[in-house]
Amino acid sequence: MTSQIINNHSAEHHDHDAEATAKVAFGFWIYIMSDCILFSCFFASYAVLHTNVFGGAGPKELFDLNYVMVETFLLLTSSFTYGLAMLAAHKNNKAQALTWLFITFLLGLGFIGMEINEFHHLIIEGNGPSRSAFLSSFFGLVGLHGLHVTCGLIWMALLMFQVSTRGLTAMVNRKLACLSLFWHFLDIIWIFVFTVVYLMGVM
Amino acid sequence: MTTIIAIPTGVKIFNWLFTMFRGRIWFAAPMYFTVGFIITFSIGGMTGVLLAVPGADFVLHNSLFVIAHFHNVIIGGVVFACMAGLSFWCPKALGFKMNEGLGKASFWFWLVGFYVAFMPLYVLGFMGATRRISHYDFSTGWHPLFVVAFIGMLLIAIGIGCQVLQILVSVIKAKQNQDYTGDPWDGRTLEWATSSPPPFYNFARIPTVTTLEPHWDAKHNATPIFDESKPYEDIHMPRNTGVGAIIGLFAFTLSFGLIWYIWWLVAASGLAIFACVVARSLDHDIDYYVPAEEVERIENELMLRRNKA
Repeated sequence: MTSQIINNHSAEHHDHDAEATAKVAFGFWIYIMSDCILFSCFFASYAVLHTNVFGGAGPKELFDLNYVMVETFLLLTSSFTYGLAMLAAHKNNKAQALTWLFITFLLGLGFIGMEINEFHHLIIEGNGPSRSAFLSSFFGLVGLHGLHVTCGLIWMALLMFQVSTRGLTAMVNRKLACLSLFWHFLDIIWIFVFTVVYLMGVM
Repeated sequence: MTTIIAIPTGVKIFNWLFTMFRGRIWFAAPMYFTVGFIITFSIGGMTGVLLAVPGADFVLHNSLFVIAHFHNVIIGGVVFACMAGLSFWCPKALGFKMNEGLGKASFWFWLVGFYVAFMPLYVLGFMGATRRISHYDFSTGWHPLFVVAFIGMLLIAIGIGCQVLQILVSVIKAKQNQDYTGDPWDGRTLEWATSSPPPFYNFARIPTVTTLEPHWDAKHNATPIFDESKPYEDIHMPRNTGVGAIIGLFAFTLSFGLIWYIWWLVAASGLAIFACVVARSLDHDIDYYVPAEEVERIENELMLRRNKA
């Protein structure tokens, strides 16, 4: 009798896992929407300020499309490999999920490394964020995206640790799903950064 | 910009007015502050619209007119509304009602003091007085109006004194003014269907809402919101955590460091935030269940308390 009650309870609590997943996903979507507002403000300031070069170099002189193209491919591929990691997690294949997560991590790290290198070059050539309104808004917008990717990488490292130590539990899967949303979201933002800042800047 | 602010705010004012329209209004201290808030806030809003006229703005920029305008909005819109909320929800949050007499006294001193203090500032703004002046010549003719404003300031100070006294008296006399019913204002919304203060899990049973004002209809039209026939169930609860507040604290020191270029503080705060996030992420024990028996015990206790009142 007692054991039956306990079993009923645990079955009931198990349903709560699905409910918790739905709630967490909904909460995370709200966060992403608020982040969208943040980015839209940075895009708006860039759109307004990008012509104000204050006698200095403009987008045409500063941006190297081939370099940014490689960056873009690194990030887009990392989104694809994250998708593969999620598929592996759904199949409950821990080793495969970890492998894809690690590849995603490396691709993201490559992207951030290239971005830091780009920033470093701009700054040592005297084109730092305080040079002109254009460069302030450029460093603000692209730097904000870079900061997001960096946080995403830290998060990913933490999740790889959790997947390897605790396995693909309901909670770890929830966290993976949130990071998945975040990572794809950053990809979409980057497409806009690439188009608005780099492509339209060089054209 | 003024249009973006003024039009939705105007709509809000009609919301509030129509909420009261043809209602049976009970003039308790929170209602005093609410009515004072609507009137004062509307006047402040209208002087804001005046500032949107470019010619007027050119004359009044940085003058005391602007000061009078935004205090009209902030005191009317934020301070009065906060005070209304404080005495309205105090019984729900802390379990006792606040002192009515001192609340009303505070309201009258605040309201009269506010108008005596800030209306002269509008006039002074037109007369050319700018903000933050430490000295003005007697020949400007501003002095009488500044004296009036000073008297208003004293009245406001008495109002603040009454407010502080009200809080002290209410806390000291909390035992006598306990709210056992959970519904001291004969409320209409669901928070008044719980006990005061509510148990940590809020509702023991999820209320079923079928009408616009479920709690009112449950009391007066016999539309039950709680299915009392069902046994209590385990309640899923999040565990308490201080991480959010701690991150907020370090975010404050981080921002402070960034603004004043204190790089060691930025680095230390950033690391501390990072550590908090990692600790939280590694903590998988974030929820628990209140067993149905425990819920039943607490609910029976609350029922006893309610019946005693």
